[in-house]
Amino acid sequence: MRNILITVALVVAVCAAAFGTGFVLGGDRALHEAERDGDALAWLRAEFRLSDAEFTAIRRLHEDFSVECGRHCAAIIAARERRAPAGEVAELERTCVDAMKVHFRRVAALMPPAQGERYLALVLPRVEGHPHHGAPNLRVGP
Amino acid sequence: MPVSSDSLSPRLREWRVNAPRDPQFRARVRERIAARSAVATWPEFARRHAVALGLVVVVAVAGGAAGGRGWAKSRDAALSARLAEEYIGGLDARLVARR
Repeated sequence: MRNILITVALVVAVCAAAFGTGFVLGGDRALHEAERDGDALAWLRAEFRLSDAEFTAIRRLHEDFSVECGRHCAAIIAARERRAPAGEVAELERTCVDAMKVHFRRVAALMPPAQGERYLALVLPRVEGHPHHGAPNLRVGP
Repeated sequence: MPVSSDSLSPRLREWRVNAPRDPQFRARVRERIAARSAVATWPEFARRHAVALGLVVVVAVAGGAAGGRGWAKSRDAALSARLAEEYIGGLDARLVARR
């Protein structure tokens, strides 16, 4: 009986060690570094396995888009502040969404085809149904 | 040489076994009984059940590693979904206007 208990304890310990090893080695380190650094572009790079050249081109595209995004933002704020008709605000928001979709397609075009399709499948549905309470930059987290 | 059944009975009656006595016989029997009933140490137990124990360890390692990897993947998937939301939020001009 004592030997069976020792055996069960050893097997449980071996199983726990294997679980821990699988957990540590099975996780995507780059993804967690992106979360730790609050860097959405690092997430993009890790998630879609971007090469240095692809990542550099996409980063440039994002930087350019952030300027355009700022213009849309200013227009929406101005419309809200002057209590513009709801239709006008909706139209500005529609323009913003369309610009984002164009931007996402440009980003996808810089990725390997399979990754680009996966990227669009991930981001496009979220554009329409976004909860709209995040930060206006490519940093994530608090 | 064939023995008739009539002559067998007297022969058996006269038969005497003169095997030499072993003075250590009882002691050795007691030793063997004691050895059988004694609790084996774990290494002895493991040696005796080496094949079964090996199989159990292999299953434990494979199962544990697969479980750990699966858990890590599901955690990564949840994290990636959250980061995707944050990524899109960072590009959405409407969010800026609502702050």
